[in-house]
Amino acid sequence: MSKFPVDLTCELMVQSLAAWRVAGAVARSRDGAIVICGARKDIRIDPAPSDPMFRWMVTIDGRKRRAISIVAVLRQVREALDPGYAANRVRVALTALVPY
Amino acid sequence: MPADVIPISILTGFLGSGKTTILGHLLRQSGLSRTAVIINEFGEVGLDHELVEASEDSFIQLKTGCLCCKIRTDLAQTLQDLLQRRDAGKCSAFDRIVIETSGLADPAPILQTLMTDTSIAGRLVLGGVVATVDTVTGAGTLQREDISQKQVAVADKIVLTKLDLSGPAQPALLRRLTELNAAAPVLSADRGKIDSQCLFNAGLYDPRGRSLDVNSWLAQDRHSHARHDADIQTYAVVRKQPIGAVTLTLFLETLAEHCGADLLRLKGIVNFAESPDRPAVIHGVQHVFHAPAWLKRWPSDDRSSRIVFITRRVPQRWVEVLLEAISAEVGDVSVAR
Repeated sequence: MSKFPVDLTCELMVQSLAAWRVAGAVARSRDGAIVICGARKDIRIDPAPSDPMFRWMVTIDGRKRRAISIVAVLRQVREALDPGYAANRVRVALTALVPY
Repeated sequence: MPADVIPISILTGFLGSGKTTILGHLLRQSGLSRTAVIINEFGEVGLDHELVEASEDSFIQLKTGCLCCKIRTDLAQTLQDLLQRRDAGKCSAFDRIVIETSGLADPAPILQTLMTDTSIAGRLVLGGVVATVDTVTGAGTLQREDISQKQVAVADKIVLTKLDLSGPAQPALLRRLTELNAAAPVLSADRGKIDSQCLFNAGLYDPRGRSLDVNSWLAQDRHSHARHDADIQTYAVVRKQPIGAVTLTLFLETLAEHCGADLLRLKGIVNFAESPDRPAVIHGVQHVFHAPAWLKRWPSDDRSSRIVFITRRVPQRWVEVLLEAISAEVGDVSVAR
């Protein structure tokens, strides 16, 4: 299992809801999971059991999905809480910031 | 600078804030005599171009719509045509381009066009964004008009105008400008007159010295005055530990993915873990980012990464925690290997 600090993930979720302007509550459960309630969804985030690929398990209304990274966790949570969410994709500029 | 790489500056500001008056004075200065001008007028009858004296063959009026929303492709095409005419010797051999936006234009999409259009890639380098603010009506305009806030927020320099009518700028206006963009120096124009050298060296690259003025560009020391309950916020995230390239990539991707539209501008110098002696400069407008520009050396003894954010309601703490969390996870994966 990952040694990743779950407290940090918990704070990231609190701050993410604020950044997304999405209503919801974030808490820690007795067994250490992160629990998010909002938009009529119940979300639970656990560090995944040892797995070479997946680091997190995200359960949304009872349905479990594995997540490869904290970035993937954020995406799953956002999609669950914010139905109008449309992700932007990074574009790399073609013009130079400074002359080559 | 390679001979054919031309700095392009954007002169923005709300309707009636004095952009054309300033441009008219600037073009009479010897330092800007080799300047091509593009004026975007939005309306049935454009007048601004009548008020600016410039060489006709390198002067273009774009009046088919507002640059930021309707004619971005026209802008790219216009720039391409201008460069081709210059290359063919069919117009003055200008060494700078200034775009005066319409008073209602959002400068961010214009910056994005300049950053991403294939037809002008490699020929132009961003020379910076200058925003004019009218000291007579500016405070009210900034209160009422979201677009005027955005014009100020993304600027590298702010120029106060009409001081001859208002007297010294009101402290409330100056406070508001600091709230919106603490990083940008605030200059004054005397009846439209201002030194071109003060104004259009607003970008990262200084064509005069052929050098990169990172500290001035970031203006990081000026961010402590930002008000954090405002809609538009400026803040700096400082990190003493070097940042891994993978961490920064994931961080920028996540910022763009979740808050791209509200990430008005981002500028920074980064201490990459993989390149401790050569920092990189990063720059983004909403979800469009320049590739990092690698410096030959650190500009000062301060080797911390400093990233300046100008955002619309993107909390600083979220940005800090996001970077921390991604960094921790990348570090965790590296250790596990």
